[in-house]
Amino acid sequence: MKRTLISMMMVGTVVMMLSLAASAGTISGKVSGVSGESVVYVEAVAGKTFPAPTAKPVIDQKGLMFQPHIVVVEQGTTVEFLNSDKVAHNVFWPSVGGNKKLTHNLGTWPQGEKRPFKFDNAGAVPLLCNVHPEMAGYIVVSPTPYFALTDKSGEYKIENVPDGSYTVVAWHEGAKNQSKPVSVAGDSKADFTLSK
Amino acid sequence: MDVGRRISVIFSFVVIVILLTGSSYAIPAFSRQYGTSCTTCHIDFPKLNDFGKAFKDAGFKFPKGDEDFIKVPPIMLGAPAQKDMWPHVIYPGTIPGLPQIGLRYNQFFQYTSGNANNYYGSQVLPGSTPGSALPPTIPRTDFQAGYFSIFMAGNFGSDIAFWVDDDLSVSGANANGALGDGYLRFVNIGRFLKLPTDAFTVKVGQFELDLPFTQARSINISPYDIYTQANIGAANPANGLPSVNNQFSMQDGAQGIEFSGGHQYGGYHYSLAVVNQNTSGGAAAAPPNVDTPSAFFSDSNYKDVYGRFSYRFNLEKDPASRHDVQAAGATGPRDHTYLSLGTFFFKGRSVQRFSGLTGGGAAEVLTAREPFYRVGGDFSFNYRTFNLFGLYMYAHDQNVLLNSGFTGFGNGDPVKFNGGFLEADYLALPWVMAIMRYDHVQSTSDFLNGASSGNYYSPVGSSRDRVTPGVQFLIHANIKTSFEYQFRPRQALAYDQNGKPLNSFRTNTATGALEFVY
Ligand SMILES: [Cu+2]
Repeated sequence: MKRTLISMMMVGTVVMMLSLAASAGTISGKVSGVSGESVVYVEAVAGKTFPAPTAKPVIDQKGLMFQPHIVVVEQGTTVEFLNSDKVAHNVFWPSVGGNKKLTHNLGTWPQGEKRPFKFDNAGAVPLLCNVHPEMAGYIVVSPTPYFALTDKSGEYKIENVPDGSYTVVAWHEGAKNQSKPVSVAGDSKADFTLSK
Repeated sequence: MDVGRRISVIFSFVVIVILLTGSSYAIPAFSRQYGTSCTTCHIDFPKLNDFGKAFKDAGFKFPKGDEDFIKVPPIMLGAPAQKDMWPHVIYPGTIPGLPQIGLRYNQFFQYTSGNANNYYGSQVLPGSTPGSALPPTIPRTDFQAGYFSIFMAGNFGSDIAFWVDDDLSVSGANANGALGDGYLRFVNIGRFLKLPTDAFTVKVGQFELDLPFTQARSINISPYDIYTQANIGAANPANGLPSVNNQFSMQDGAQGIEFSGGHQYGGYHYSLAVVNQNTSGGAAAAPPNVDTPSAFFSDSNYKDVYGRFSYRFNLEKDPASRHDVQAAGATGPRDHTYLSLGTFFFKGRSVQRFSGLTGGGAAEVLTAREPFYRVGGDFSFNYRTFNLFGLYMYAHDQNVLLNSGFTGFGNGDPVKFNGGFLEADYLALPWVMAIMRYDHVQSTSDFLNGASSGNYYSPVGSSRDRVTPGVQFLIHANIKTSFEYQFRPRQALAYDQNGKPLNSFRTNTATGALEFVY
């Protein structure tokens, strides 16, 4: 009986979300001026909070590399760091979103094991290993669930953005962030040209 | 000692300082092959960290899962499945996907205490004659182009490692190069005998002896005095009888075969090498009826033997961390905290030739092979990036003398020396290395000769000491600038009746080096 009630509530939630999505649009466009993958996300919306995400993306250390090289997550996401290598690594970041006070070192753990960390602050997190200085990876923590990783040519599409006015930010490794206001009503466009 | 000899001694010290500073290596080829920085294996190259030691032990491979890390795939010299066809096919091996070539260039700037020229002043004392082809001065400063070296190292599959290094520019412009080490190393062949992993490895070729602390790949600009000390004895002034003339020094490259086992990053390590006898005293003429590659390197069937045993106690509490290649630190893997204790022994014979007589009274060249040995102990303590290590060595040469009839040999008094060094390395920042070093050599022969190897003269004392602070900066992981200052005690060539030194001098020397590898 209890189970049926829960199922009904879940169905109701899904229906509500779908009806919300119906009034939502997309932001798409291209990030140029740089080569390779970039990240585009919607800046924090005043007075609006989002439920904590439950998915736990994994960043692997494999062959002396962080894989994947760039991961975008929503604020509050727990990222799991895996070590697949038969050598010891560590993971640390000197800052989050440029704030050096948020530096952290996860330490060293054996091959095959994971170590989680919850990212509660938005901004780019440069991942480093202090025994292999050539290793580099990035987590971009988006303050909203509206974000996208571009393809290699810079094309992106953020779906399910409720209609409204937003600030959209483009991030690229080693380039200056660029933000611009975007009004979303149905399908909207935002192109960025970044420079190093 | 006459004036010409004195001048040649002082001139050769300048040359020796330059020549001996030339051989340190890091292997950029491995950086290319694995797509990783020098610091994966080195702290202040060429000093190895624990991972680098394990990489070297494993035959220039990652100690575990090597193929996972190679970014440039090796070239197959036969499909792996060919292994099943052996012995009907050549056993399949590999060569590195890129030529494993690394290059290194270094240059020096040197400054010597000005009063070193008092040395020449002393020559105009009664009984000395000034004048020589050389101008009577040591320049206080000097620029030196150092070495351009090529080095190649890697693995051919089946755990067969190779190393060749050559100083292309040794001994000045356009001169012939000199082979440093060149060898093949058959790693862990104990596996065929069901021995524990890495218990038995064989190296064949020319190589530096398995010294407790390497000279060829040392971070120091100047070599360890005890490693360069040869045992050149002074003739007995009472009767003019010759003494030992043993050119052998511990840093010499040796030709032969070396058996080894264990690990440099923890636990036991041993090596036993059988190498050519030192023939600096004069090699025999190549026999006319025997084909040789290029005459014989040695003139003796008797081979010298070098052995070493050490044990390294890693001091981490956690057993997994203690036994791993690197310790698991709170902020990343790091070198172990350890205490290593070792001992080494060299036994050889040194050649001397004398004009003697046969039993029938005819003139004959008599060859003496003077037995000698070197024995010593060493320790190394490491905590984080601080490493304190030292070595003591005792040297003993049997002095073989012609008998009174000049027809054979008897034994004179043995000629001995001893000494060692103590060094502290502290990596203050990942790119700043501070070094403090003390060298000591005590040699009665040096005292009797009135001069010695290196730039210390021992007319009144038989020991020479120096304190050598140094600092090194990595500009990049592959570019380094190094400085050291050698403090030496006050010296003099002559003393008045009251024992007061006349024209005393110091040969304190500041040396700067700039080197890069690529
Ligand atoms: Cu790493």
